[in-house]
Amino acid sequence: MQLRQAMKEEDGERGVTTGVTPPAAEQDPAVRGSKVWSKVRAVAFNLLSLIVVLLIWEVMAERANSPYFPAPLHILAAFVQLLQQGDILGNSLWTHINASVYRLLVGFGLGVALGVPLGLLMGLYKNLYVSMRAVIEPFRFIPPIAWIPLAIIFFSGIGRYAFLIFLGAFFPVFTATLVGVGRVEPIHRKVFQVYGAGKFYILRRVVFPTVLPDILGGMRVGLGTAWMTIVAAELTGGEPIGLGRMMVNYSELLRIPEVVVAMILIGAIGFILNEALLLAEKILFRWRWQVSL
Amino acid sequence: MDRGNQIMVQVRESHHYGTFQVHDRIEFDVRVNEFLCVCGPSGCGKTTLLDILSGLMRPTQGQVLIHGDPVNPKKQNISFVFQEPSTLPWLTVWENIAVGLRVKKRPSAEVRRVVDDIIDVVGLRGFEKHYPHQISGGMKQRVAIARAFATDADLVLMDEPFVSLDQPTRERMQREVLDIWSRRKRTIVFVTHNLEEAVFLGDRVVILSAKPARIRADIDIDLSRPRDPLSPEFMALRSRCAALLSELSTQKDTTRSETGTRRAH
Repeated sequence: MQLRQAMKEEDGERGVTTGVTPPAAEQDPAVRGSKVWSKVRAVAFNLLSLIVVLLIWEVMAERANSPYFPAPLHILAAFVQLLQQGDILGNSLWTHINASVYRLLVGFGLGVALGVPLGLLMGLYKNLYVSMRAVIEPFRFIPPIAWIPLAIIFFSGIGRYAFLIFLGAFFPVFTATLVGVGRVEPIHRKVFQVYGAGKFYILRRVVFPTVLPDILGGMRVGLGTAWMTIVAAELTGGEPIGLGRMMVNYSELLRIPEVVVAMILIGAIGFILNEALLLAEKILFRWRWQVSL
Repeated sequence: MDRGNQIMVQVRESHHYGTFQVHDRIEFDVRVNEFLCVCGPSGCGKTTLLDILSGLMRPTQGQVLIHGDPVNPKKQNISFVFQEPSTLPWLTVWENIAVGLRVKKRPSAEVRRVVDDIIDVVGLRGFEKHYPHQISGGMKQRVAIARAFATDADLVLMDEPFVSLDQPTRERMQREVLDIWSRRKRTIVFVTHNLEEAVFLGDRVVILSAKPARIRADIDIDLSRPRDPLSPEFMALRSRCAALLSELSTQKDTTRSETGTRRAH
C-alpha cells in the first residue's frame, strides 16, 4: 500500500530528458520536496552566472573603451532602438525574427517530413539502406554552407533558404530514426502478431512508439544545425530581411552593438525552441523515465 | 465438467532449421478447455513448438489445425504469454492489457468492461495508470497473463511464463493462473521444464524428448483440484514423469554427449 502511494506521487513530478535511470530514492516525498528546491536553486544560479558574466563583460568593455568592444548597456540600448525604430532600412526587429523563424520552420519541417519516413523505410528494409550507403552517407559530411553556390543556382526566394536549412536538419533526424528502428524488440512485434496484427498496424503501434524518442532526439540535434545554418543561408539571399541578413548589414557598417544583438537573438531563439522540444519529450515520454535503452 | 472430449487443436508436424531437425513427428491433440502442459529438457524445441502452434511459424512438414482449420492468427483467437517480459513500456498497465482487444477491433465499451474486469481478477486494481517500469517483475507477468485472457482466445499459449520469478511468486502465480482458468474456461498449452509445475497445473502432461523432440509420453493427471504437491498421489505421478524424463536421458547416453544428458535432468 505504501509502495503504491509512493508510486502515485512519483507519477506527477518526475521528468527525465535523457532516459538515464534516476535513483529510486526520489520516490520519497521528502526527497521530492528537495527536488523542487533544487529546481529553484538551478534557476537562481543560472541568473547569478548570467549577471556575473555581464558584469565582467561591462568592466572589460569599459577598460577597452573601443567601439568594437561594446558594453552590455550599449547592446541593450541598440536592442531597444532596433525594437522601437527598426533597422536602417526601416524593417522592424519582428520582421527579421519572423522571417528567420519562418524559414527555419519550413526547412526544418521538410527535413523532418523526409527524414522520418526515409529513416523508417530504410530501418525496416535494412537491405535498402545497406545497398545505398555509399550514396547516402557521404552527403552527411558536406556542410550545408558548402551547398550555397548550388543553392544560388538552383533555388530562389524561400526555396533557397529552406533547402539549406533542410540540409542541416535532415541527416540528424534521418540517422536517429534509422538507428531507432533497430531498437524495436522482436518480442513487442510478436505480442501484436499473435493477435493477428498486420504490418501497418505494427508500424503504427510498435515501431513508431519505439522510435519516437529517437526521432525527437534527432529533431533536437537537427534543430541546432538548422538554426545555425540560418545565418549562412541568409547571407545568400537577396532579400533584406532575416536575422542573419540584419547582422550582415550592420557588420558592413561596423556597428558592432547591433551585430551582437542579432547574435544574442539567434542564440536565445535557438534556446527557446530547444526547450520547447525538451518539454514535448518530457510530456510524451513519461514511460521512458526509468527505461534505459 | 464442461470440458467435454471435443478435440480442438490437432498437431501433426515435423520441423527442421536447415539440416538441423528440431521436431520429429510431434503429434498430439488438445481438447476444448483442456489445460495441457508440455514438458521437456531445456533446448528441446518447446518454444519452437509454441511458435508453430500460434501460427507465427510454419512447420517444415505437417500442420496445426484448430477446429479443423489451419492455424492463422488473423482468423483464430490465439494469445500468448511469453517467457521474457513482454509488456510494452510506452503503454500503461491498462493499455497493455487492452492490446489484444484493440488489435481485434472490439468496440471501446467492451474493451473497457473486459479490461476493468480482468484487472480485478489478476489483482492489478490501483495500478491501471502505472507504466511497466513502475511495477515489479511479477506484476508485469500478471499484466501479460491478463492480456492473454482478456481476448476470448480459443487457445492460450504459455511459454515458461514464471521461469524468471522467485519461488513464492511463482507458486502464487500458478494458483492465480488456475484461478483465472477456472473462471474463464480456455484451452491452454503451457510449456515448462519444471515437472512439478506441469503436474500441479495440467489436466494432461506431454513429455518431449531432447532434440530432435519426439513425444515420449502423454500422461493424464487425474488428480482433483486444488492439488497438494505433498500428497502421495501427486508425488507418485511426479516421479513417474521424472522417470520418463530420465529414461529418455539414459537412452540418450548412447547418442549424446555428457553435458547434454545432464541438462535433461
